[in-house]
Amino acid sequence: MGMDIGKFLKSPEHEIKITTYRDIFQIEALERDRFGEDYRKLSACIVIGKNDMQKMGIKDRDRVLISNKYGSVVVDVKESKKEEPGGVAFMVNSPWSNALVSDVTGGKGIPEFKEIIAKISLTKEEITSIESLRV
Amino acid sequence: MITCTGCALLCEDIEVIIENNSVKETRNACRRGAARIKGCVNRMVPSIDQKPVDIDISLKKAIQILKNAKAPMLFGFGNSTNEAQKKAIQLAKKINAALDDTSSFCQGHLIEKVLHNKFRTCSLDEIRNKADVLVYWGSDAQDSQPRHLSRFSYFPRGELRQRGYEEDRLAIAIDVRESNTAKICKGHFYRIPLKGDREFILALMDALSGKVPTYDPKKMLELAAILKKAEFGVIFAGIGLTYSIKDDIDILVALSDKLPNFHIMPMVGHYNMRGFNENLFNETGFVNRVKFSEGKTIHDDKYSIVEALKENTVDALLVVGSDPVSSLPRSIISHLASIPVICIDPCVTMTSKIAIVNIPCAVSGIESSGTAIRMDGKVVELKKAMASNYPDDENVLKRLLEVI
Repeated sequence: MGMDIGKFLKSPEHEIKITTYRDIFQIEALERDRFGEDYRKLSACIVIGKNDMQKMGIKDRDRVLISNKYGSVVVDVKESKKEEPGGVAFMVNSPWSNALVSDVTGGKGIPEFKEIIAKISLTKEEITSIESLRV
Repeated sequence: MITCTGCALLCEDIEVIIENNSVKETRNACRRGAARIKGCVNRMVPSIDQKPVDIDISLKKAIQILKNAKAPMLFGFGNSTNEAQKKAIQLAKKINAALDDTSSFCQGHLIEKVLHNKFRTCSLDEIRNKADVLVYWGSDAQDSQPRHLSRFSYFPRGELRQRGYEEDRLAIAIDVRESNTAKICKGHFYRIPLKGDREFILALMDALSGKVPTYDPKKMLELAAILKKAEFGVIFAGIGLTYSIKDDIDILVALSDKLPNFHIMPMVGHYNMRGFNENLFNETGFVNRVKFSEGKTIHDDKYSIVEALKENTVDALLVVGSDPVSSLPRSIISHLASIPVICIDPCVTMTSKIAIVNIPCAVSGIESSGTAIRMDGKVVELKKAMASNYPDDENVLKRLLEVI
């Protein structure tokens, strides 16, 4: 029986810049049940433009690990329905995006929520649960 | 008819149908508002160390924690009534606590400029009646304040704008992302690079001064021409803009000086964030980030929730109507695991799950009454629509204040 060598190979990592946004359906789910499946599905995802996805070899609905020195999360990929200029991916503001936000504030009290630099790679791991994002 | 507390628009035209003390149906509310009014599925129960107790016992434990703390902090209040916020300020004074709210890492800087009259602002009703040029800048109102365009800005008929969006109003979006609001501003969406707002403002100021801007001159001159023609213009400053220029907020004041017919309105999310800023400002002259010490008020960035948690300078935290474990970076909140947290909220939150003491309260504007301040500064009455088994947060804070 042949050995599945693929499982020992690490998926290629790509650098990615992420900004956060608000989504009414996710806010609605938050109001109803922040520990529910709807909120998780609408939060634990990253929206990427078609061209950027092609460059990184990532497809719609792939599962990815996004990590930097502040934290890491496993989320689903959604292909953007719009024409994106590229270079920036989007995550809805949530505990999943907050897991990647830097603690560098320059003493000014406002974290850099809108510009997250991280590495992204394909993964088969489970989506990060909200419970594991607690302190 | 009740007032919606889904966001800082505080829509006063909401009808609710209540059956068996629960909301069966809402009318006129947006998705966000309807979800807020219908309530969460996981209501909080009083607890100590995550074990259910009688509410009076949880209150006693909270009092003990706050009494023993040498450096307590009170935080939250964006979802509290003015009356609860005023009680929180009294409590912070009484126990020499630091006091901060969510505006500290949101729109606080801009609201401070408004309260200091650093730029022109106006009411939402003036916008409905007079505004002809609307600039949504780093603001996706369609998702965050969903009835903003339909009730006040783009779509409605107004005293001087009888032909509404069809002829009388022009909407512009300036954003990093083609948001749902930007989609409505067809032909007038200016996409900017991430954190490119400052450069965009400088170029726009050049164009307004008759200079040829170095950044995208054709588009900048076109935009400047539109803005100059405005009879009553408004820049809706969203969190995208505020975060991008957070180190140089005064640049927005400088832009405002170049646009004499324009008004600036910070787009506030939580229903009474502006109320907290105004209530604290009236009491101390500051909008957030204060510490009370023997009758004196000290204002410093180190009393912001972010810096206080980062630098481990608080030894107990009382959180009211907010979920910092969810809304702050995980890299900052680890200190919360090492201090006693008291949580007052109608619902189970990520913060309540790590709190030593949980004290449930009624949902303001639905289960309890009071007043709040709309994003434009108007005081709005909140009416109670149904009964609750729990006291409102004003009463919880009042009890803490009386006993301490």
